[in-house]
Amino acid sequence: MSDTDFEPKIVAFLCNWCTYTGADLAGTSRIQYPPNVRIIRLMCSGSVDPTYVLKALLDGADGVLIGGCHPGDCHYQSGNYKARRRVIALKEILKQAGMEEDRVWLRWISASEGQRFAETVAKMTEFLKEKGPSPMRQKWAV
Amino acid sequence: MPRNDQSVGAVLVVGGGVGGMRAAIDLAEAGLKVYLVENMPWIGGRVAQLGYMFPTHDCVLCRGTSDHGYGCTRPSISPAFLDFNRHPNIEILTNTDLIGVTGRAGDFTVTIRHRPTYVDAERCINCGLCAAVCPVELPSPFEEKLAVRKAAYKMAPRALPDSYIVDKVPRCDSCRRCEGICPTGAIHLDEEPYERGLRVGAIILSVGYALSDPTEYGEFGYGRYPNVIHSMQYERLASRSGPTEGVVLRPSDGKPPKRIAWLQCIGSRDQKYPYCSSICCMYATKEAMIAKERIPGVHCQIFMMDERAFNKEFNAYYEQAREKYQVEYTRCRISGIAEDPETHDLILRYPDERGRMQEERFDLVVLSVGARPPGGAADLARVLGIELNPYGFCETDKFAPLETSRPGIYVCGTFQSPKEIAETILDAAGAAGDSMRLLREHLGEYPSSREYPFLWKPDGLPPERDVSGEPPRVGVFLCRCTPTLDGTVDVDEVARFAQTLPDVVYVQPLKYGCFKEEQAAIRQAIVERDLNRVVVAACSHRTHEPLFQKVVREAGLNPYLLEMANVREHCAWCHVDDPHGATRKAKELVRMAVARVRVAEPVHKLAVRPVNRALVIGGGVSGMTAALTIADAGYDVTLVEREPELGGNLRHVYYVAEEQNPQRLLRDLVNRVVGHERIQVLTSTELISHTGRVGDFRSVLRTVRSDGNVVETEVAHAVTIVATGGEEWRGEAFMYGRDPRVITSKDLEEIVVYRPERIADLRQVVFIQCVRIPNGVEYCSRVCCTNTMKNAIRIKMLNPECQVVILYRDIITYGFREAFYTEARRRGVIFMRYDDEHKPTVRSVGPQLELVAWDPTFQREVPYYPDMIVLSMAIQPSSGTEDLARILGIPLSTEGFFMEAHLKMRPMDFTAEGIFVCGMAHYPKFIEECIANAQATAGRALTFLAKDRIYIGGVVAEVDQAKCVGCLTCVRTCPFTIPKVRYEDLGVGGIKGAAYIDPALCQGCGTCVAECPAKAIQLRAYRDEQIMAQPLGGWVIG
Repeated sequence: MSDTDFEPKIVAFLCNWCTYTGADLAGTSRIQYPPNVRIIRLMCSGSVDPTYVLKALLDGADGVLIGGCHPGDCHYQSGNYKARRRVIALKEILKQAGMEEDRVWLRWISASEGQRFAETVAKMTEFLKEKGPSPMRQKWAV
Repeated sequence: MPRNDQSVGAVLVVGGGVGGMRAAIDLAEAGLKVYLVENMPWIGGRVAQLGYMFPTHDCVLCRGTSDHGYGCTRPSISPAFLDFNRHPNIEILTNTDLIGVTGRAGDFTVTIRHRPTYVDAERCINCGLCAAVCPVELPSPFEEKLAVRKAAYKMAPRALPDSYIVDKVPRCDSCRRCEGICPTGAIHLDEEPYERGLRVGAIILSVGYALSDPTEYGEFGYGRYPNVIHSMQYERLASRSGPTEGVVLRPSDGKPPKRIAWLQCIGSRDQKYPYCSSICCMYATKEAMIAKERIPGVHCQIFMMDERAFNKEFNAYYEQAREKYQVEYTRCRISGIAEDPETHDLILRYPDERGRMQEERFDLVVLSVGARPPGGAADLARVLGIELNPYGFCETDKFAPLETSRPGIYVCGTFQSPKEIAETILDAAGAAGDSMRLLREHLGEYPSSREYPFLWKPDGLPPERDVSGEPPRVGVFLCRCTPTLDGTVDVDEVARFAQTLPDVVYVQPLKYGCFKEEQAAIRQAIVERDLNRVVVAACSHRTHEPLFQKVVREAGLNPYLLEMANVREHCAWCHVDDPHGATRKAKELVRMAVARVRVAEPVHKLAVRPVNRALVIGGGVSGMTAALTIADAGYDVTLVEREPELGGNLRHVYYVAEEQNPQRLLRDLVNRVVGHERIQVLTSTELISHTGRVGDFRSVLRTVRSDGNVVETEVAHAVTIVATGGEEWRGEAFMYGRDPRVITSKDLEEIVVYRPERIADLRQVVFIQCVRIPNGVEYCSRVCCTNTMKNAIRIKMLNPECQVVILYRDIITYGFREAFYTEARRRGVIFMRYDDEHKPTVRSVGPQLELVAWDPTFQREVPYYPDMIVLSMAIQPSSGTEDLARILGIPLSTEGFFMEAHLKMRPMDFTAEGIFVCGMAHYPKFIEECIANAQATAGRALTFLAKDRIYIGGVVAEVDQAKCVGCLTCVRTCPFTIPKVRYEDLGVGGIKGAAYIDPALCQGCGTCVAECPAKAIQLRAYRDEQIMAQPLGGWVIG
């Protein structure tokens, strides 16, 4: 597969209150970004179990985006801090297991930041295009 | 109150801002019908324009949402309180004026006049084509003229009603292009205005305020100098949804400013507008902090007279701005601005603290404009027959702060007096409480609710079908939303694809799923095709999920057997140039939704029948007011007071700055409470334990009888109101307790009343403001400055020869209380500022008291030898507040007062549902604020008491105790400390001690789910199985 026709697949776990709504605002404001992201809505970024991320990667996602409220702005007071802590640990585990930890992104995007959401997806798509398909995907593809 | 047989169970709320929305939702939840009238085309009011709120800086897009029972404050940029999540009891009437009122309290007939918007909101799909073809461009008032809009337009991407309108301005020549292009035929340019009569029992006015007009002050060059803007313009520039997406730029050259100045009190505290607008000090601080965060190296300087940071956590915020953010505060009122015509830089000349003139250049100057009475206030007052105060705001009595001069008409928010959001919310809930008391016979008349189960009386909907054991039969409904969705996404191809997905038995494209006729088609298909799972591929969960949940529920399915695929906001609208990619993504989203719904399970809520009683802790003015409002509305109250008699602090208040007599209020309240058949008063009583959940709390009360015997009683109650108040701190400071001539302001009040002759002998009195608790958290006690004004004026009245000196840090006479500061100065009271570096000192020199203060103007120490020193002691929470917080399981703020659920949006609630706080237990406040606050908690309490059933639980975390090892991880990780490991519950292997999560308390975030090492916890409707089903199953190729 050449670099040009590779379309990265991004799974995004977004919190209901900030980032999911920010993605909505990108839509209502008609801000354009590449169609490479599949959004899964959760109540809080703090509820993203590392196994969700691993599962997505094993299922063939080239990247996983976790989106939550800005620090101090969590709907549930501190769920996003828990997410941050967990993502750091997860990245460490990925590294040690020989997996590419930079395929997992954690970003704070508020409900009024449609532009920021669109930019994040565009940047991540660009980044993954350059990086190439997930080796995991190739291994697991039957 | 006379019995009112003819009363009507409906309330008219005038004004759709934050206050009006708040009042409307409480009234609707109490089962009353609400007409919410707004004269603008959309609701949201002033707050809709704000980017951030002080001091939390959060945008409260979520905390203020209807999902939590609150109207969102920010419909312009917020998804909440949207059309399809609207309360069934609230009818929103925008672009509508109130033009006539007849009748009396309990039975008014009002006439409203609707001005045409020319667009049928029910059929507008927000495609924006009308605006695209419209040739007329106008400055946008919502963006404070910093951007343009069309004549066919929408205020902001998200607005309520969620619809475009056509503004037939003079320049609109009815070219009818919009009418022709509208795909749903929603535009009718021939629409006529119409009038309508409504019968309501009460009216609440929440009409807000207008901004001061900065052009009235020509010396600041607003309108002439491009880089002089007003504060609301700054708010729009700083808002992420504003014209510059949150980047503040200089209007003259579009460059980021390096030096910004804020000039305070533009249109406040001057000769023409002598009151304080109450909010400007804090919003300027916020704006400066946002500038510091966004623009590296920017210099922010605020020119003010006093920094009025007089509410909870405001002082810490102000400190943070000064210390952490390095915002510079200069005490000076700037009298004019000059401009450098070359660079459009602005030149300010001001004297520094030592009186030396300084001249500085700034790139941008923000005028902190104050609050005016709302436009049309005089007309409204005439129509309603209510009185306005001399400033043009609504006239109210100090002891009836939410009542206008006409019975049955209430007021809340800034129309009563300039105030911030939290206080507007308190007022609004209080006015709703007042209306509930008036219309008590109608509480619960409309038992509808906004969220599942949609009704709190079990009738009106068909029984829910039990689908357990059935194999999934999924129906997929795809909305075309022509042309906004199918213009990009090939809906037919997605439909063909959907048919190939496992367990999908029925696929139907819809033209516009949000139209009533199409919803009927969904219901019909569910019944005819025997569907037990439904996917609607259309727009956002955040806007339309409640609508479609209700649709499937009406067809007999549990609402959680519905899943939405967001193919509009998340797909069609943001991939317009890539139809192929968008169609592929749409297929993928539908596949994910089907995968998730296949394993979905019904979610039910637990019904609790509320006990017909409220518990009120604290028998001061707040507790008594709350108890009376609830009891008058027809519910029982147990009022608990620790002291042997009722009254609290009010027993020691003998006069107020205004004219009213607080002792008469005290007598009146006590008599009404003691004589009320529904109020059980327990004095010398304390709360020992408090268990249970909203609707069914159990409390044990310990009473010490007059004979010394101790009796314990158990009370069942639906709600709890905490009104335990605060008290004047008394400790060693400035020789207090060591010299009898040093007294507190409370002592002075006793002297003025009982021994006024002592005042006649005084030559000199010095007041020292802001006497803090040593090593305590610094905060403003809010009432002391006005108290000192009142006492200083009293002394001057009794003894005009007596010299009165007030040593202060900042004078906090906010709102109309500024008049007392002016009056004190007029009577010759001397004011001298001190700061932490130059605190006054007091010692005795022989028989004399010597007070040495630093005079900042002359830069030297000044000795005084006063006859009396009066200390304005800090107000602290009542003793025992910490114990009570522990018993109730509710948190305390850094200052030691009770900590509410949210500083701005939920100032009277706790996250633990059914417990409320009012009065000085929340923060120091004036009598009128305590009364409004108490009525707010009573109103909130009535929304629970008025219900047949309270529904708890739903989407909450659930522990599978057979898997629980009792490791305490959930206990530690929960942001709300809800999980408990209970000894009596059996965990894995039958070992004693397993986690339990109370469904009434769980907030449903799922943090414990992610953290539980044994995977013993699941969040309903977001179970691992549902989430993990989504990425599973490969990707759509093609």
